[in-house]
Amino acid sequence: MNQELHFTPSPRTRLLLRLLAGVGVLSLLAGAALAPERAWGSLFMASYALVCLGLSGTFFIALTYACGASWAVALRRIPEAMSAVMPFGAVGVAAVLLFRPSLYPWTHEAAAHELSGFKAAWLNWPFFLARAAVYFAVWLLFTRLIVRTSRAQDRDGDPAHTFRNTKLSVAFLPLFAVTFSMASVDWIMSLEPEWYSTIFGVYTFSGLFSSGLAVIILLAIWMRRTGPLRDFVTEEHLHDLGKLLFAFATFWMYIWFSQYMLIWYANMTEETVHFIARQRSFWLPLLVLNVILNWGIPFLALLPKFTKRTPSTLAKVAAVVIAGRWLDLYMMVQPTVTAGAITFPWIELGVMAGAGALVVVVFLRAFRQAPETPVRDPYLTESLHYHN
Amino acid sequence: MARVYSVFARPLIQGDKRLAQVTEDVCRPMERRPGPWWWAAFTASSALLLLGMSAITYQIATGVGTWGLNTTVGWAFDITNFVFWIGIGHAGTLISAILYLFRQRWRTSVNRSAEAMTLFAVMCAGLFPVIHMGRPWLAYWIFPYPNTRGSLWINFRSPLAWDAFAISTYFIISALFWYVGLIPDLATIRDRGKPGFRQRLAALFSLGWDGSYRTWNRYEMAYLLLAGLATPLVVSVHTIVSWDFAVAVIPGWHATIFPPYFVAGAIFSGLAMVLTLMIIARKTMGLEDYITVRHIERLCKLIIATGGMVGLAYLTEFFMAQYSGNRYEQFVFLNRAMGPFAWAYWTMVSCNVLAPQLLWFRKIRTNLAVVFLLSLLINVGMWFERFVIIVTSLHRDYLPSSWAGYSPTVIEVATLLGSFGLFFTMFLLFCRVLPVIAMGEVKGVLSYGRKHGEGHP
Repeated sequence: MNQELHFTPSPRTRLLLRLLAGVGVLSLLAGAALAPERAWGSLFMASYALVCLGLSGTFFIALTYACGASWAVALRRIPEAMSAVMPFGAVGVAAVLLFRPSLYPWTHEAAAHELSGFKAAWLNWPFFLARAAVYFAVWLLFTRLIVRTSRAQDRDGDPAHTFRNTKLSVAFLPLFAVTFSMASVDWIMSLEPEWYSTIFGVYTFSGLFSSGLAVIILLAIWMRRTGPLRDFVTEEHLHDLGKLLFAFATFWMYIWFSQYMLIWYANMTEETVHFIARQRSFWLPLLVLNVILNWGIPFLALLPKFTKRTPSTLAKVAAVVIAGRWLDLYMMVQPTVTAGAITFPWIELGVMAGAGALVVVVFLRAFRQAPETPVRDPYLTESLHYHN
Repeated sequence: MARVYSVFARPLIQGDKRLAQVTEDVCRPMERRPGPWWWAAFTASSALLLLGMSAITYQIATGVGTWGLNTTVGWAFDITNFVFWIGIGHAGTLISAILYLFRQRWRTSVNRSAEAMTLFAVMCAGLFPVIHMGRPWLAYWIFPYPNTRGSLWINFRSPLAWDAFAISTYFIISALFWYVGLIPDLATIRDRGKPGFRQRLAALFSLGWDGSYRTWNRYEMAYLLLAGLATPLVVSVHTIVSWDFAVAVIPGWHATIFPPYFVAGAIFSGLAMVLTLMIIARKTMGLEDYITVRHIERLCKLIIATGGMVGLAYLTEFFMAQYSGNRYEQFVFLNRAMGPFAWAYWTMVSCNVLAPQLLWFRKIRTNLAVVFLLSLLINVGMWFERFVIIVTSLHRDYLPSSWAGYSPTVIEVATLLGSFGLFFTMFLLFCRVLPVIAMGEVKGVLSYGRKHGEGHP
């Protein structure tokens, strides 16, 4: 086990990570010089993606504790280590909110957007920042408490840690639901101050969780192939993760369609503005591609049983969903950054590639800090012998 | 293959049952003569059914003018009842299909009766749109087929037409799913060798079940596929019901969150109805070892989860009405909380959001009297939720001169009572003629959490 603790990626992987990190930094710097609006926008997208990824790790752990789901215990260290990327995303989001508030039109063109009454009070910069601080405090605090309790169990094997974490998880889930819905409105919906849609929080959550599952799947397959989880993560676990990805990709589609169809059907100006900006000219093929990547491909590919149990196939589908996640975020944010103009997204892709490298590095560092599986979790044997 | 359980695993079924005992316990209540309580309940519910049938006959003969509707409030009691009943049905499919896909083995004790409840609730629901059409003898016009009515087609863009497709498909698949699950148990009744009408019917409907490995294998596959089909169907049904409102541009109806919000609310209300029925059934039929307090607790936890989603949707709607800056939206929500129907709104909030919070405490979850009371409150609250959404959004529209009130007539109340009569009459009959617990499935989970060699499953 000790040898596994010192797991380091292969030289080729390390080179790739350095390359990606370099691409990220260069894109950000070049973007800052050439198109500062887009550089800030892409920094926001990447940071938001990291925050969501970290949150999806915490959410996955909390959900399994709350449900008493034993099957996922063997691979719990993966979402635990994933949640370590949240602070890095938080720094990025904070940087954007503090130093580039002009990303949000209501901060500088309040008069043009006729903000009045409740909205004017809600979209108010100091209050906006204070809310963001509260969200981060809740998310980081619970993540830290849950991960720490899980690791404390490695030392003494006391089942009381399981009960404590169940309580923490059950408290976290409703708090997460409320804070994340509010954060979605604050950070993304208010990019278009006139637009509103009540389902939006559910929509961003569906993207958060289906892409989070895709990342868990990729990391689980990687850690299984390269060693640390070879004896812990079985095809049965991958099968279940695949089923969840299938379900939540479909959930994403359900929410996407509900939002689109109802706005299309009612055809009210204040609502359609969002989709009109996203299906003009070259945006239309992207809108269609978004649906194909996030739902079409995973739905068709994961319908049969064997694809969920074949690591190489499952990994490819997960990669498609992650690409879809990037596009989904791009569709949410970019039209507001470039006022609808479409350009080849080299800055946005480059910065996200750098963020990807950061995820892997932070994940590996966090993963190495504890045994690769919760060795003394009372549910571990049940998880290792899990059979679909 | 032998399963390994954690130290926390406890048997799902109490009383160290043997296989034969399960059959005996489940079949006993339906093979003996019904007791006085059953007769009392049956008399009461069939009286209600009779009342409802008289009311329906009267209103069809007279016309929908017998209702309290007016030009401003064009939908009220009938659609409220429709949405209420269709929602009740959803918990049955959650338990029988969705929890099956999630491999929740505790569901085996409640899935049969919950799914029966689904079927009866859908029947009650179907009643209302048919009466609402005004000329129920032309109800078949909802089905699109080449016809001689000047080639008159339905409006395919109307969610009301989608409703007809979704609900009829849902009913068919639910009935099939329920029947497929019944087949092994029907074979058990057939093989118990108590000759009579029941045995002959069971023999016919068990389709020559022989209990061989291959039969079970095919059965499991059919069951899995039907569960996979029922899951998207149940979501689609309440999604489309929500679209009946959300596609409109009426403030209070048009909200993009309606689909997931309605689905969560439907399951929430249905779980409450499952609890209402199960708490009585386990007691009167002596099934406490099968539907244990832990089963009740798990249903309560699902209620907290789905109730939480509903609460979040209430908050989101209220917040977004303010945030949108749309004065009509703002008015509708303030009018709900402070207008003439504020009593209905606050009934809804107290029953659906406040009352279920008590279930966070184990002491309350294990106190069946309190859980029973809460389940009734949630049923009331969810009925009022639909009433609030429908009536408060309509009664004060854009033009203050056309504002109106609404109160139900005796006929409408009698129809609602009649639907309860239909529901309970069907359920009481079901308890008499079919095994209320899926024996074949319960036998499969008997060994769960038992130490090896303990008991003799």
